[in-house]
Order: sequence, then structure tokens, then C-alpha cells
Amino acid sequence: MSDSAAISTPLAPLARRRTASSKKSDWRFKWLLVAPAALLILAISIYPLLFSLWVLFVNYDFQIPGHAFIGLKNFRQVIADPVAVHSLGVTAGLTVANVATEFLLGLALALVLVKTFRGRGVVISILIVPLFISPVIVGQAWALLLQKPFGPTNYLLGLLLKREVTIGWLTEKPWNYVALVLADVWQWTPFMFVILLAGLTSIPPHVYEAAELDGVGAWNTFWYITVPYIAPMMLLAVTFRLLDAIKLFDTIFIMTGGGPGTQTYTASFYLYVLGFTQFHLSRATAGAWIFLILTLIVVQVLVRRLLLPATT
Amino acid sequence: MSTVVRRPRRSRIPYGRIAFLSIYMIFVLAPLYWMFITSIKPSDDYLAVPPVWFPAEPTIVHYTAALFAYRGLDGLVNSLIVSISATAASCFFGTLMAYSLARFNTGGQHLSFWVLSQRFLSPIAIILPLFLNYRMLRLQDTHVGLIIAYTVFTLPVTVWMMFAYFRQMPRSLEEAALVDGCTRWRAFWRIAVPLAAPGIVAAAVFAFIACWTEFFFALILTSKTAFTLPTVFRAFLGFQGAQYGEASALAIVSLVPSIILGVLAQRNLVRGLTLGAVRG
Repeated sequence: MSDSAAISTPLAPLARRRTASSKKSDWRFKWLLVAPAALLILAISIYPLLFSLWVLFVNYDFQIPGHAFIGLKNFRQVIADPVAVHSLGVTAGLTVANVATEFLLGLALALVLVKTFRGRGVVISILIVPLFISPVIVGQAWALLLQKPFGPTNYLLGLLLKREVTIGWLTEKPWNYVALVLADVWQWTPFMFVILLAGLTSIPPHVYEAAELDGVGAWNTFWYITVPYIAPMMLLAVTFRLLDAIKLFDTIFIMTGGGPGTQTYTASFYLYVLGFTQFHLSRATAGAWIFLILTLIVVQVLVRRLLLPATT
Repeated sequence: MSTVVRRPRRSRIPYGRIAFLSIYMIFVLAPLYWMFITSIKPSDDYLAVPPVWFPAEPTIVHYTAALFAYRGLDGLVNSLIVSISATAASCFFGTLMAYSLARFNTGGQHLSFWVLSQRFLSPIAIILPLFLNYRMLRLQDTHVGLIIAYTVFTLPVTVWMMFAYFRQMPRSLEEAALVDGCTRWRAFWRIAVPLAAPGIVAAAVFAFIACWTEFFFALILTSKTAFTLPTVFRAFLGFQGAQYGEASALAIVSLVPSIILGVLAQRNLVRGLTLGAVRG
């Protein structure tokens, strides 16, 4: 104590002079550090969005020359397209199925793996592997497993059920949806698992000891101690996952190609086809804005209703 | 005399948990195993019934075909160039911004949340106008174009991970350096950055994996020259049937680097996944 006081005394005026004279240069310094990243984001994601506001109201179409002003026609065409509406429904359905399954499985895995046992580290290392694989490859791997003439899934199911199984996993409704959910669940369950496990391990053991002394049953302990404790983590994991799940594109592209017909079109896939294989760029932009606004509404609701009350 | 009735003790071995975990492990490993087996299986074994679980004569023909005939090697090189450059740029600019946000609270909460919100923007909303602009600027199908796009797309991750890292780092050393007459820049570059090196490495791993596995931007912004590894898989669509081996071989080549990096960085996984919001 006395030492540091003795040392700091002669330096104190120096430091004070510094803070007084360098307020301005501090201001310059902090904004200089922020500038490059902020400018990059402005250039690559904000500027294109502003540019697209112009594209929205003109006719920007590689099949039609010129950019004539056409007002709200782009919006009207998208809204009137039954495939657009269908793709929104598919997106919502797949998102709910994916995130719900991943959450329940991830929670179960976290509860099983929160206890220490031999080989736990290896098991966790294997469980998280899917997180580091490109969704394209995940789609490819599941397509190989499920494919009708070649994949082993139907064969194994046949052995299990003792009759021939000929399910077209990638081409028949509702199996194509099941296949897409399988691939997504395979890849993203560890996301939920890892976050929930971090939540579970952060619960101090004395809480459980107290509950055990009071003779609280296992189910009540889970419901009234564990769940409230990790509720913020649960909401965070589900929110992050939901926001990514609604963008679903890669596995659709590889596994079903949106087919059969337009059955497995998600919103992203529909807009991709509209913009980049049919080159109706203005119409696709209008659709993208509608999708963006719908997404923002979902985000607002999630953050306002769920995340904020949970954290305060 | 009353006899003490002992309730039968529940067995110590949790069979239910073991069964659940085993089934789930099979679920995780099955696609990887089948993909690997397919990549070394002679084409004649594809349609065999029952399926060939392990080929009698493994072959590497699919690997050479995938790498050379299908230009997988070019994709691999492009992926390396783009992912490493974008990771470096993202970590550099991200660390600068994160330091400013953490130490000076620059722009208040608005700036940091604006950066975070970029993480959740739908790529489809940005890609249409970006594609048009890239065509005008001749950045379409160039390495530079994709590097810039990937830098921005990984910035929210690097900024937020480093933001969290700097906030839990004590400022005392930097302040001592300032008192000793260091400039702000030197205190940052010579003291804060070396101390934050483990955080930067962790952020770099996750940025790299994000770039390495990215498909959507690469699909639209590249075609014949700057195409990355994941986009090579387009070649195997449509020809359903003959290219199982090539597709699997390419997949195995592509997934090995990112899995190794990911498992090595596993200690930082929770922070990486939640952008620093949760400490694992």
C-alpha cells in the first residue's frame, strides 16, 4: 500500500496532464480503430441493401433490357405467386421441426453428459464434429445414406421390419421433409448441446445438495431448479438457432434441389431460383425484402418478449 | 421381531443413459463412416445387395478423379487462399474495433449491437444487390471479391468474441504503459494485442471454419476461377448415380482440416458459438 502510494505520487501530475491534453487524440484513436470494420460492413451489407431499395421499384431483369420504373408491381407479383407463399410455409414448418428436435435432443445429451465418467471427453469431441462440417457435405452424406437404389437405410429398415422397404427419401412426401430434418438435426443438435451443457455445469452443486436434503424428487429438482437456472441459456441457444434455421438453403440445394417440383422450396431457395436461375432480379429483391421484414418481426418478438425479460 | 425389508437397490449402472448415448453416437458416426467407405469403394460395389459395409479391395481412384478431373484441387487451393486471407483480415479489423468498443465504449450499445445484427441478416437479402454491384465492379468470380465478402460476413463473430475477451482483460497494464508515456496506439499494439493473443487465435479458428464451410456466397459470387471447395459439389448433382465415390472423396478431403481445427479449439467452442455471450 505505502509502496504504491510512494511511487504514484510523483507520477500523478504527469498522468493528470496526459488525460487533460489527450482527450481529443483519444477521441480520434477510438474512432480510427472502429472505422475500417464499420466501413467494410457499410460497403458490403448496408450499401447493397440501400441499392436494392432502388432495384425494388424498377424492372431489373436480365431477360428484359433497361430499368423502367414499375412501382409496386414486383411486390404484387411475389405476393400473388403461390410458390412464394408455399415456400414460407415450408420454411416455418422445417424451422419449427428442426429447432424443437435439436433443442430436446441437445438437452437430453447435456443432461446425460453433465456427469463425469471415463471417456466423457472423447464422447464430447465426437459429438461436436458435425458443427465443423460444411452443410453441403452434410447434405451429401445424408443423401448417400438415404438414396433409393444405393443407400443402406432402406436395406437396414427392411431387415428390421422383415419386409421390403422402398422409400424414396429424397423424392417422396413426407419422407423428403424427414430427410431434411434428419440432416439438420444431425448437424445442429451439438450446437444446443454445447451451450446447454455449459449452462448445466455452471449450476453450483450446493443447490442440488440442498434439494436432496429437503427430499425433493428428481423431476421436481429438474423442473424447479435446473430449468430456471439454465433458462437464459436455453433462450439464447434457441434464438440463435432459430435465426439461422430460417435461412435454410444448403441442404435443400444438395439433397432435394427443392423438389419434387417445388415441394421442398424454402424461402431462401425460392428467392435463389427466382433471382439466379430465372433472373427476375427485381422480383427476387422484393421477395427478399418481404422475407427480411418478416425475419425482423420474429427477431423483435423473440428479443423483446423472451430474451429481455429472461435476462433482467 | 420385525425383519428389515430391504428395498432392492437400484443398479449403479445407468443402462438407459448408456443406451441413449450409444444410439446417438451411432447416429453421428454413421454418415461419416458411410461417406468414407463410399470414397474407397470400387464403383462396382455401389449397387450391391446387401450393401458392402467394407470393400474387399479399397481404391483411391475416386480421390484422384475428384481432385483432378473435377478440379477439386483448384477448389481446395481457392478455399485456402480465400479462407486464410479473409480470416486474417477479419481478425485484424475485428480486433481493432473490439478494442475500441471494449475500452472506450465507442458508439455506445448501438454500434456493438449494429455489428451483432449483421450476423443475423439473411444472406439472400444482401446477395442480390451485392451480385449486381460485383458485376459492375468486376469483382465477380475473383478471389478479392470473395475475400472481402467473407471478411464482412465473419466480422460480427470476430468483433464480438474479441469484445468479450478485452472486457474481461484487466486494463492496468495498458494504463501503466500510458503513464510511462506510451501512446494509445503503442499501448494497444504492444501490450493489449499480445495479451489477447489466445482470444485472437480462438476467433481466427471460428472465422476460418465459417469461411471454409460457407456455400451460399461462393455459389453466387464465383463460377469458373475463384470457386471454393463446397461449390465443387455442384458437379455431382444431376448426374445421380455415377459420382458417389468422387463426391465422398471430395467431402472427406474437405472435412478433415475443419474438423481437426474445431476439435483442437473445442475449449473455446461455447464462446465461439454464442459470439462471446456465454463463457464455457
